[in-house]
Amino acid sequence: MANLSIPSIRERLFNTSKHEQTTQRNSNSTNPFAASSFKGNVLTADVFESSSKKAEQPSFTGKLKASALVGSISGIGEKFHNMIESAKAFGNRMKKWLNRLNEVEISFTPAKEKAVSIFNSAIEKLSTPVSDLIPQGVSAKSVSKMDDMIAVRQLATDKIAMWEAAEI
Amino acid sequence: MVDKKIVKDVTNVIEGLGLNPNPETISILEDVGTNSKIDAIREMTARALVKKNMHDALKVVITNKGKGINDMSTVVAMSTINELLSLEDKSEAMKILEDTVEMHSDEEVRDNARSVKALMALS
Repeated sequence: MANLSIPSIRERLFNTSKHEQTTQRNSNSTNPFAASSFKGNVLTADVFESSSKKAEQPSFTGKLKASALVGSISGIGEKFHNMIESAKAFGNRMKKWLNRLNEVEISFTPAKEKAVSIFNSAIEKLSTPVSDLIPQGVSAKSVSKMDDMIAVRQLATDKIAMWEAAEI
Repeated sequence: MVDKKIVKDVTNVIEGLGLNPNPETISILEDVGTNSKIDAIREMTARALVKKNMHDALKVVITNKGKGINDMSTVVAMSTINELLSLEDKSEAMKILEDTVEMHSDEEVRDNARSVKALMALS
């Protein structure tokens, strides 16, 4: 189990040579990294990059990030300005709407009068008998239940005569 | 142009006479409706008589020249035939048609009855 305490990690990072373990290699070693790596030595910790080096020289990607940050900061101002502008526009629109609402309220007066007149006429109609409100007509149901055949014949004759007279 | 109210009233009277079970309504429909000069009235009357599905009512629209299936108006004749074809129980209508084909004096009436009988047999 590796020791992960901060002092031990720092020790590994900054004193890389100390952690190299010398191993005896045979001439017929099959290690493919033997020639190019650490002369056959095995590293006991990841020491390819030190944190101190990083701090001294910002990497290329770091520069990109920094420029993006600056760009975003300058963009924030513009966005903030836009927000303010849209808020101002919204406020102005609200103001216009409020003015219009006042106008509409004035124009409601005739509609109110109309509603009152409809209400009054409805009350008038309610006071009249229902038979006067429903138009008088002949229903198939009433004819189908009629027993007086003389009356039925007369009714049929009259109604058909009215139609025939209207056709002329 | 005929007032809609008049048309509605006549339609209701004829429909009511068709629904009324009193046998006398058949003669009322025959006298007042099938003799009308208005095609629409004759058509409605013929259909009301067929819907009754009674011997005397069916006889009016099958055996009389110028009425029902023998009407001069194609619309009235076709409408009556259509109503006959729509009958659930066609037995009475078939019996009258057979009698008409065999015994009626008028050749045109016999021919019409034969055609309608053939149609009803197929339906």
